[in-house]
Amino acid sequence: MSGAPGGLRTALVQLLAVVRKEIRQTVRDRRVMFLLVVAPLLQTVIFGFAIDFQVDRIPVAVADLDRTEASREHARRLLADGTLRRAADATSAEEADGMLDRNRAAAAVIFPPRFGADLDAGRTARVQVLVDGTDPNQATVAASAVSRYFGEVGQALARERAAAAGRPLPGTIRVTPRIAYNPSLRSAPFMVPGVLVMVLLIITTIVTAMGLSREREMGTLEQVMVTPIRPLVLLLGKLLPFAAIGLFDVLLVLSAGGWIFDLPFRGPLAVLGVATLLYLLVTLSLGLLISTVSRTQQQSFLAGFLVLQPALLLSGVATPIRAMPDWLQAVTLLNPVRWFIEVVRANLLRGADFADLWPRLLILLVLGLALLSAATMRFRKRLQ
Amino acid sequence: MSAPAPETAIRARGLTRRFGSFLAVDAVSFEVERGEIFGYLGANGAGKSTTIRMLCGLLEPSEGEATVAGHDVRSSPDAVKSSIGYMSQKFSLYLDLPVAENLAFFGGAYGLSGRALRGRVDEVLELAGLGALRRAETGSLPGGIRQRVALAGAILHRPRIVFLDEPTAGVDPVSRRDFWALIRRLAAEGTTVFVTTHYLDEAEYCRRIGLMADGRLVALDSPAALKREWVPDRVFLVRGRELPLERLRSTPGVRAAEPFGAALHLRADPAAWDAARLAALLRQAGGVDVAVDAVEPSLEDVFLAAVGSGKGGAP
Repeated sequence: MSGAPGGLRTALVQLLAVVRKEIRQTVRDRRVMFLLVVAPLLQTVIFGFAIDFQVDRIPVAVADLDRTEASREHARRLLADGTLRRAADATSAEEADGMLDRNRAAAAVIFPPRFGADLDAGRTARVQVLVDGTDPNQATVAASAVSRYFGEVGQALARERAAAAGRPLPGTIRVTPRIAYNPSLRSAPFMVPGVLVMVLLIITTIVTAMGLSREREMGTLEQVMVTPIRPLVLLLGKLLPFAAIGLFDVLLVLSAGGWIFDLPFRGPLAVLGVATLLYLLVTLSLGLLISTVSRTQQQSFLAGFLVLQPALLLSGVATPIRAMPDWLQAVTLLNPVRWFIEVVRANLLRGADFADLWPRLLILLVLGLALLSAATMRFRKRLQ
Repeated sequence: MSAPAPETAIRARGLTRRFGSFLAVDAVSFEVERGEIFGYLGANGAGKSTTIRMLCGLLEPSEGEATVAGHDVRSSPDAVKSSIGYMSQKFSLYLDLPVAENLAFFGGAYGLSGRALRGRVDEVLELAGLGALRRAETGSLPGGIRQRVALAGAILHRPRIVFLDEPTAGVDPVSRRDFWALIRRLAAEGTTVFVTTHYLDEAEYCRRIGLMADGRLVALDSPAALKREWVPDRVFLVRGRELPLERLRSTPGVRAAEPFGAALHLRADPAAWDAARLAALLRQAGGVDVAVDAVEPSLEDVFLAAVGSGKGGAP
């Protein structure tokens, strides 16, 4: 075909033939259709509801060893805002400690004897707080709820004393955190982009890897390679239908996210569209690359999971990258999943646009092209 | 592609392929004429498929050269691919697609589209006698039919040359006969057919045969000439009861005597023996109801003689 007139036209005819064949095969396979269409929807709903980082009503054991008006009042007010919940009463510090051990409470607040007397006398009153650190997230929330409360109490006391002494009010510092972008700190808006990233990665990568391995297994690949079709045309033809399905899945997940979980759409959707296309270039090329190192569909499937799991774990989809050791953080710089999830969250939740996100999009493009060329090169080599 | 068809469809010169230190095809040279049915025989692993894969542009030769339909396989594999049809023993079709969809896909892969494609699909379906099955799922069809679908797919783009790599492996005898009728029809219309087969009876249909052994082309000629060259003895079919096998084997001028079904296959020096003299000898030695007929040597005899019996196994 090289140099033949109408070479481009022929390539287009060939491309359409491959696309058409892929679509027919996919549509005829009900299981694959289920995987491609229903699974993303299910995952959105399940992940949206099930993964909830929000912590409230933490069970607390209260040991009031002081039994004064003051200790009872402070215990009541500490538990009033709903972050903490009185789960049990203990008669001694040891008993409260035991409740933590037996998992009856996640935190214990102990008012020692003379708590009220110390307060009345203007001495420093002590409160002991024990927190179960098994769930670090919950522990942090519990500890900060307690210190926030007593911080406010301390300030109020200082004001009272100043007033009683007839001195002007000392300057007080009021810290009022305002949480931007996701003010209610709901998990779903954070998680739905995560679902998007996971669903696209798993579906497009594995379906592509297995599709090509199937052709190799069945011997149809060899039959195709004796036609004048170019490897690149063949690969593009195999990728395009799944790119379309990937885009459809994105719309599906975003619609479900918007409808069920009030996912905000703050940024220009064009950014999301471009990012998705680049990400699909990555995931589909990855699928191709996996298929070139696997002999059977089964191997492709397993190899797929072997690659996808670390890619997801090191992406920041579920756990913050900042919490990883430095060398692992460096590894995540090469992880396309990381860049895509950052773009999606920034775009949807923060309203970031091209001007903010172009470096990340550029990285995605470079990683995608690198994977595609590696896949095409290995594919050509495997044919020999 | 508009160049006039050369009279030599395939030309191989010192074609060689190594896999590591293994020499799969060793300096093979031959020419195949336009419209010829060329049979390529050999044991498993003799290098048949490797030769075909090099000629189809799927595999680069380690040494030597080959032109197919006037195109060099090394420098213009795409032009080669456009001029040939290829069908392998695996019947490489999409089993989950209907027959017509398979053909439409391969037609598209060869650059056919629109009305030309649809017309050509109808034509090859008609030619292969598959008109009624166009909507049938390919995987549900028996092997003999599938192999006709595969051939139909290989000739969609009117290739000048078709390569058939063991096209009838594992197919029942009736389907094999139908398939060969199709092949001869293609050849009669001017298509060159390069075919490998396990079935030596099929090889009789070929105008010329190349015999491969351990990567080398050890014989190349028409079936009749091969028989004359490799089996110079006269072959007799001997029937009867109480035939004295041992006595025959020790008779001067008798080169071999082997049981053949209920009868004997006997090879003898044509200068010393004919049917009548053999019959007389056998009756005298105690044979009952003796009948002796001179028969044509089979390609199996040729194959065993050329490749060495027992060495590479049966073809």
